[in-house]
Amino acid sequence: MAAGDTGIEYRLPDDLGVEGVLAQIGEWRRLAEEAAALRSRAFYDSFDWSVYGDGGVLELAEPPEGLELLWRGLRGDASVLRQPVSQAPGWPADLPAGPVRSRILAPCGIRRLLPRMQIETRVRTVRVLDDQDKTVVRLALSEHRFRDPEVGLEGPMHGRIEVHPVRGYDAERDALIALLTDGLALAPADGPLLLDALAAAGRSPADYSSKLDYRLDPRGRADAVTRSILLGLLDTIERNLPGARANLDSEFLHDLRVAVRRTRSALAQIREVFPNADVALWKERFAWLQQVTGPVRDLDVYLLDFDGYRDSLPESLRPHLAPLRTFILAHYDEEQARLAAELGSPRLVEMLRDWRGFLESPLPADPQATDALKSVKEVADERIRRMARRVRKEGRAIGPDSPPAEMHELRKSCKKLRYLMEFFQSLYPDGEVRELVKLMKTILDNLGNFQDLSVQAEHLREMAARMREEGLAETDTLLAMGTLIGDLLARRQRAREGFASVFAAFLGDENRRRLKAVFASPTQDPETPDMPGQGPTEPPAEGRAVR
Amino acid sequence: MRIVALYNIKGGVGKTATAVNLAYLSARSGMRTLLWDLDPQAAATYYFRIKPEVKGRKALFRGRRGLGEVVKGTDFEGLDLLPAEFSMRNMDLLLEDQKGPTKRLMRLLRPQSDSWDRVVLDCPPSISLVSENVFRAADALLVPMISTTLCARTLELLLEFLEGQPKGSNPKVLPFFSMVDRRKRLHRELMEELRERFPGFLDVAIPYTTEVERMGIHRMPLPTYAPSHPACDAYRDLWSKLESALDGAGEGGIPLRHAG
Repeated sequence: MAAGDTGIEYRLPDDLGVEGVLAQIGEWRRLAEEAAALRSRAFYDSFDWSVYGDGGVLELAEPPEGLELLWRGLRGDASVLRQPVSQAPGWPADLPAGPVRSRILAPCGIRRLLPRMQIETRVRTVRVLDDQDKTVVRLALSEHRFRDPEVGLEGPMHGRIEVHPVRGYDAERDALIALLTDGLALAPADGPLLLDALAAAGRSPADYSSKLDYRLDPRGRADAVTRSILLGLLDTIERNLPGARANLDSEFLHDLRVAVRRTRSALAQIREVFPNADVALWKERFAWLQQVTGPVRDLDVYLLDFDGYRDSLPESLRPHLAPLRTFILAHYDEEQARLAAELGSPRLVEMLRDWRGFLESPLPADPQATDALKSVKEVADERIRRMARRVRKEGRAIGPDSPPAEMHELRKSCKKLRYLMEFFQSLYPDGEVRELVKLMKTILDNLGNFQDLSVQAEHLREMAARMREEGLAETDTLLAMGTLIGDLLARRQRAREGFASVFAAFLGDENRRRLKAVFASPTQDPETPDMPGQGPTEPPAEGRAVR
Repeated sequence: MRIVALYNIKGGVGKTATAVNLAYLSARSGMRTLLWDLDPQAAATYYFRIKPEVKGRKALFRGRRGLGEVVKGTDFEGLDLLPAEFSMRNMDLLLEDQKGPTKRLMRLLRPQSDSWDRVVLDCPPSISLVSENVFRAADALLVPMISTTLCARTLELLLEFLEGQPKGSNPKVLPFFSMVDRRKRLHRELMEELRERFPGFLDVAIPYTTEVERMGIHRMPLPTYAPSHPACDAYRDLWSKLESALDGAGEGGIPLRHAG
């Protein structure tokens, strides 16, 4: 049977299995079995399922000679791209040129391909014979076992039977298919094997995203819902820890840091739902985590931006920037080792365990925090309105001569407002908050540019000094870095000049109306209209928030 | 698509065994191959355990059905077979009914040039309208020769016939020795003599062996059950020399001197 030969495939229910289905077909026709073959394959994707999100699955197969990388489309067309490779994939850009590389390069971006699922298969080839002992249909019956490398779980999964017709024996094929579908009630096996394996492992594809996507009950107790938001962020922190420790790619640490920042923001902004002493303790602990993860992230940013920096220089200076990259890389390993030690430290393990313990402990019947029992909608409305007022006030105060510190304060307030809106998005009519978040992103891009460019220019100056001290920078390199700093400061100036027009949209009537309308409305379930007796006066239900 | 016919006016020269084994080796080498059993004895069909019946045979020859609708997949990847059936003994009559009766086979095969890389025709012994069709369609005539004087005579007859045909019938004529018993002095002498008389013989000798005859018991090509038998090596040798000849690179081929 040819490897690329496409047959019609059915899934075998557990109670029937390969032996069961063979026994049934054997009652109808004589069968001849050939030697069974073992095959092994692994499915690759980035941690955030970029390939899957782009409509495909990536399979590393081990045919008898060499390795082959296959991209299979998830949509109905079942298209397949393939290319030989000499080793397991890692960075998409490092793959040899070929159709699979071209397909996945853009969707994967800066993420590394990781083995997400391993499948070992035993394929039994069985020929269905007629009265002349001539093969009239070929069958491939496969028994699979999955191994989930992320959690080390392994186990059996549904078998499959593939029917390969033999030319000129259509009647026999039809009779066999009728036996399988009508007689044995087998369902077609749709979708790649990866999905079966994930299901067998109790997982679903695309089960990780750094985006916030909570479904909150507006009537839920504020403290319970806040706990569920924080639990979601804790899950993100924990899932990214191993990848950040091993430095599989820069996004593990990035996502971890974003989740830590959001945790700190939630603790600070969703006020009076937890005892103040607890909040103070946890804010401090997460500040530590944010701080120890900073140095590697800074270096990551330089490395990710390095090509852009280099290309922004005049052609003649570009080669002289190379020592900067060498310098960054030389310090990188040191910082990463320090980070890995912190991320694996008993201090962090204990901290996260205690944090989970706190978030999952029984809800107090009589909480000391004043807003703990309020409905989350009420708390969210109040917090968002207050923060929006602060952003408006701080933004209005900014003039052409305002010091950078004020811009920085405004940026922090905008970020807090954005996070609050994102946490509580599902409490409000669909789409309204999305528009507001979009606007906050635009403003934050501008403020972020301003702030980051200042920090980067300052950091580059420090690095230049250290490189000179360590004898690692020739004059040309220092000149190149100087030009780069000048360029960053010029960009910072442009960001500063653009601020007023970007922020004008926040101050505009339309935005004010929208803010007022969305966050000032009485408590209302966005799905169902108010029912008598279910208004805001009713005591809020206990933590009903699902992520 | 290249078309190779196993042909000899004389029967019992190892024609079908060669057609079956060559077709199998062709498919094994990765070429999509069709074996067309034109012999009403249906021996090739039997070797592949396929029932000797062709539904819609008349419609096929009248051009109302395509070849693809009547071929059968064999048990081997890449190898299809167009079965023979006993009623095919009257194929001549069927062909006579058609316009351009000597081009019928060619016209059936031509639209299929993307379906198969190689077509092997197992021809009935005789010179008839069927064989005239074969001569028109084939790129090469592989002629199994046994070491008898009678066989030399049939090759002469074939060459004379081909030379009398219009230039459209111009297959490469590739005789080779079949059913050879090297222990017999007569065989060796006749082989020597034939080579001298007909330069262009392929330098291949398929040995006479009961293992080849067992194909009828196994109902399978020889390489599937006796892959290391010397006869298998000889068929592989024949296959590679045939391929070279088809490429125009190899030895062999008796030049034809067309009269017209």
